[in-house]
Amino acid sequence: MAATNKANMDEVGMNKGIWVEGRAKKKVLEFLNGLLNSKKLEAVLMPATNRTKDSYSWFLMGKDGLLESADPFPPVMTTQGARAVSYLTKKGRAWKKTAVLLRPCELRATIELAKIRQVELENLVLISFDCPGAYPLEKYFNGDQKKLDEAFDACLSKQAELEGARAVCSICNRFTGRGADIEIGLIGGEAKGFWLIPGSREGEDLLEGVTGSASHKLEAREKAISELRAQREEKRKQTLDSFQETVKGPENLMRVLSSCINCHNCSRVCPICFCRECYFDSKALSSEADAMLQRAQRKNGLRLPPDLLLFHLGRMTHMSISCVSCGACEDACPADVPVSMLFSLAGRNTQAVFEYEPGRSLEEAVPYTVFKFEELKDFEAPYIKEYSKEQ
Amino acid sequence: MDEKKEFTPSIIYGLCSWCGTGGSETAGAMHLQYADNIRPFRVPCTGAIDPVYILRALIEGADGFAVSGCHPGDCHFDSGNYRARRRMAVLKTLLETFGLDSERVWLRWVGHGEGKRFADTANEFNDHIKKMGKNPLAQRRDT
Repeated sequence: MAATNKANMDEVGMNKGIWVEGRAKKKVLEFLNGLLNSKKLEAVLMPATNRTKDSYSWFLMGKDGLLESADPFPPVMTTQGARAVSYLTKKGRAWKKTAVLLRPCELRATIELAKIRQVELENLVLISFDCPGAYPLEKYFNGDQKKLDEAFDACLSKQAELEGARAVCSICNRFTGRGADIEIGLIGGEAKGFWLIPGSREGEDLLEGVTGSASHKLEAREKAISELRAQREEKRKQTLDSFQETVKGPENLMRVLSSCINCHNCSRVCPICFCRECYFDSKALSSEADAMLQRAQRKNGLRLPPDLLLFHLGRMTHMSISCVSCGACEDACPADVPVSMLFSLAGRNTQAVFEYEPGRSLEEAVPYTVFKFEELKDFEAPYIKEYSKEQ
Repeated sequence: MDEKKEFTPSIIYGLCSWCGTGGSETAGAMHLQYADNIRPFRVPCTGAIDPVYILRALIEGADGFAVSGCHPGDCHFDSGNYRARRRMAVLKTLLETFGLDSERVWLRWVGHGEGKRFADTANEFNDHIKKMGKNPLAQRRDT
């Protein structure tokens, strides 16, 4: 994926979609298989059903078993895709052309990770799709999978609300694969087919030779997307605003966090939390019994393990600015803490300070890594001259 | 009312080793007094203050946390204070979001020669926190 192609991706995407008729899942796999056959691609990294067929894992694979087991549109997000990509390229670029199939939130996280050098995009072809959302892992594992799968498939093209989706999915406003090298357009296809839309020069090259009709209906698709987006943005605002009311103030916040068991799963599965050693797992926070007893005396008692609020708020100061609202944290929480909502809310507000949107563009630097000479005056305490005279 | 008057807040004052600390030295040389419940916390640069330090102080017993360092453009390490300003903005936004008194955290630049400004800031912050009262977070055992 070439960074320089990013700037004009909107124009490219608007004009050159290829309409493919048929069932999206099958056709996409055939498309990938064709690219592997013609050696335009040498590997794909994507979710596939695991052996027991009741869940999905990420596999780096070639042609073997691709058509039978891989699923470009899994109904659950088991591992955040950006994490899978990071495992692949953290220590250097992939030296074979590899396609990666990502949900939109996974795509955004991948771009965030590329900015902080946890992902190397060279030789990767990012493919993303119009995501209807995902089921909570627990619900999918314990529910009637066949029924859930059917409902999910029906939502893929009909742009209907996925019933029982995770909290952050139902308020997701960035649900298209825009920004990827190849965007799989499902919305507006009305279950008859889908578009393959190139987002970069590389994507265009790969789409050469794909048989399909011209993209006569792309405008209808754009319209459907902007309608749904406006709807979702309104819903997102309202939901987060009313959620904020329920967590505001020490009393409310601690009530929401009280069931937390300090397992730090949320940080372990978070794509943005990339640190090899997390401050909150480090020895820096461990102290002797004496210090704990003193703390307990000061605070009328001490919850053990300690530093519950510090962990959550601290993690927010570290990563909320890049939070893509993917919901992986909440899926991993064994104690039903609404982590993804807390972090989405925190992320919305901290990102607004810098008018930053994680994963929007490779060129947009993470706010912590840059600065302006004149900015953020509101956060400084203005000096009142001659203060001492007022005393 | 009496109770509030007796309240002596516990305040941490994060100072960079160049301008912030320099300001306190100048204040000393000028024989300017500031409240003695303010504990200076010296760091190499305001850019070295991770918001987690401030959060930890606030959760574990501090009633307020002020930060002072070189004015923009004067940072000994060129850009540490700009970075500090971004971090403080994020921290204050988060505290505001969750209704945790973002006004208990102050950022104000103090130059090496500005002894008066240093003492004024310390006293003003002290009075400001006295008015705000005890930090509710520091009193809770379930944090």
